[in-house]
Amino acid sequence: MAIPTHPASGPAPAERPPEIHTAAQAPPPRSPLPPSPLPPSATRLRAAGRTRRRPRVVHWAFAGPAAALFVVFFAYPLGASLYQSFTNDDGGTQTWAGLAQYRRMLHDPVFWKSLWNTGLILVFQVPLMICIALVLACVLNQSWLRFKGTWRIAFFLPSVTMLVAYAVVFRVLLKTDGGMVNQALGWFGVSPVDWLNNPVWARVSLIGTITWRWTGYNAVILLAGLQSIPREQYEAAAIDGAGAVTTFRKVVVPQLRPVILFCSITSTIGTLQLFDENFVLTKGGPDNATMTPVLYLYKVGFDQMDFSYASAIAWAVVLIIGVLSVIQFRFFGQSDRAASTARSERRRG
Amino acid sequence: MRTTRRSALRLGIGALAVAVTGGCATGGGKKAAAKSVSTQTQVAGSITVWSWDVAAKALKRLAPAFEQQHPGVKVNVVDIGYDNAYDKITVGLKSGAGLPDVLQVEGFKMQSYIGTFPSGFYDLSALAAQYKAQFNAAAWATGTDSAGKVYALPWDVGPCGVFYRTDIFQQAGVDPASIRTWDDYIAAGVQIKAKTGKKLLVVDPTGDSTFPMMLQQEGQGYFVDDKIAVATPAAVTAMTLMKQLNDKGLVDYEKGWDALVASNKDGKVATAPTAVWWSGTLTDEMPELKGKFSVMPLPAFTAGGVRTSNNGGSLLTVSAQSKNSATAWAFIQFALANSDNQVSMLKNEGIFPAFEPALSDPYITGPQDYYGGQTTFKTFADLTKDIPPIQYTGDYSKASDLVTDATNSVMQGGKDPKSALDSAARQIASATNRQIAQ
Repeated sequence: MAIPTHPASGPAPAERPPEIHTAAQAPPPRSPLPPSPLPPSATRLRAAGRTRRRPRVVHWAFAGPAAALFVVFFAYPLGASLYQSFTNDDGGTQTWAGLAQYRRMLHDPVFWKSLWNTGLILVFQVPLMICIALVLACVLNQSWLRFKGTWRIAFFLPSVTMLVAYAVVFRVLLKTDGGMVNQALGWFGVSPVDWLNNPVWARVSLIGTITWRWTGYNAVILLAGLQSIPREQYEAAAIDGAGAVTTFRKVVVPQLRPVILFCSITSTIGTLQLFDENFVLTKGGPDNATMTPVLYLYKVGFDQMDFSYASAIAWAVVLIIGVLSVIQFRFFGQSDRAASTARSERRRG
Repeated sequence: MRTTRRSALRLGIGALAVAVTGGCATGGGKKAAAKSVSTQTQVAGSITVWSWDVAAKALKRLAPAFEQQHPGVKVNVVDIGYDNAYDKITVGLKSGAGLPDVLQVEGFKMQSYIGTFPSGFYDLSALAAQYKAQFNAAAWATGTDSAGKVYALPWDVGPCGVFYRTDIFQQAGVDPASIRTWDDYIAAGVQIKAKTGKKLLVVDPTGDSTFPMMLQQEGQGYFVDDKIAVATPAAVTAMTLMKQLNDKGLVDYEKGWDALVASNKDGKVATAPTAVWWSGTLTDEMPELKGKFSVMPLPAFTAGGVRTSNNGGSLLTVSAQSKNSATAWAFIQFALANSDNQVSMLKNEGIFPAFEPALSDPYITGPQDYYGGQTTFKTFADLTKDIPPIQYTGDYSKASDLVTDATNSVMQGGKDPKSALDSAARQIASATNRQIAQ
């Protein structure tokens, strides 16, 4: 919901009025939106309006159920939670509280810790995962690789396993006593690690778990991007005498920039919304070391029954996701857009 | 990295939370007085009961007898499972729809519900008054609000003692009778660890019940006179004790119920300071350890002090959404305010009655096979009368979460008990607008 629309949709409204004035016909039906108030000069126009009315009923007949569902299950709850975040729930009575819940958030160490934890995951896990995914994608893209389909499925599979199921499996693997990971470490003489009960190791476990689940998914997306790079570019690079590393740096990475951007934005959003893994593995513990904003939201709402504060946290998360997405777009997207405008200018020239 | 499917799930959770909260924004939040159950209405029709685990099993077993007493009545007991129980009940209360006639709720949670949803339950004051003297006072307090209105009838109560392994104590050369105070307990733990390598007790860092148990033993909950009391001298004393147990290496940390049980079953710990219902877990899950357990009262904080506390205990309440409140109340009365049924629930499901007339039943006062013929339940029945009643308030859940955090930061993060509890008190104050007790 927080992903910005494509920047290309910006200049559209400016094009519209001239169309109407020059050609005295109805504008081309680019969207099912009702026509904007048109100058009621020509009768032709009114006639056109009448003919358009019937299709509009049909439009709504098709779009209506979806729109109704959207309003009931999406727009209304969204608005209600925004309203609720400005209230105080006092013994079952809602009172307007202004920004009190948000002010409370500013002084809430658990909330800040949850953001800090998310930041740690963002800084360590997301780049690590995308690097591994990129390497995996390149390997999967090699012509000499056999059983390609099998490999792709194998790497993609974790991302479609049930969230809770995989978290439970990891909980069993990471058990301090008798967990398979510690058993395996024991063969090399390493004493058991308290994976889930030690603040540092709990974070490591969580990062490892998410990486296992989502690396393959990103690799497959990057692979799709890789396959859209024309073969000629590799050949040209080879003719120019570029080695594998140079080709990767100068051809593959620049071409993949939009795909990498997509992966990192979705990963960032996913990290900010992290819930199931730490809920099942650690319940946010020990000592809130793996608490995330959404898990905290759940605890505040459903354990502590403080729905107003939970709503405020939800909106804070929405805000943060929005801001981070914009920053990523600016940061990654800039050079991408610059490249594409340069390309199109070259084409025009 | 996250699929749209995943985002959809997120949105689902968000939307659920939001939908729940949204329901209140429009109408659920009216501060209406709780309804009263009419005594005139006839006991008829069908009722639905939400409960879980052994408790649900018990009610399912008792339902046919109730149906026989009232021909034509149908009792439908649904086991909603503990893991989702409160999410379901909270959603029902918040949205004002979807709840059954009768609900099982634990004592501490009941207080949070009464505070947050005062109009979510029937006011049972007039009907329940006749039983007040017969129920355990501490349990009774969990079903009433600060004004004395009764919303639920107590079901079971959790008098606490120490379950200990006689064989490990023997091996370590520790005489259980010598343990009178918590200091003695720690000294015994050190000796046991030195001689056998076993730890003393297991603690679940995600939901510790040891600290509140100790605090109640000192006659105090998280609130006193509606003020936040988690940083009082009594609380600091209890938290310091928790820190000592950790610092001496006597605590085995395990997350979740199954892990707690496994730790005891595997003999990793020598004792379990907990409530009487642990007995049901022992007989159910560790029949092979029959004859190896014994029970003593909790160690006191000071010589001659209170030697018990409360941990757990449920209530049955009538949801305000019930269309058949008279039958709902009749069923609650039948199940809970009745010695025979209460004793049968202890026998079959290990639920220890809060209904005191039941405590003099020969089954409770008699010897227990599992404990090598000791009168274990009598020990607990005697302790029940000493349980200090405490105040919970509607903000208990908030306080509980923050105190759990404080406990972890002391035990695993090495923080100073006083400053951890002070910080928890400040956070509870900002979350609840309550004052901090001195």
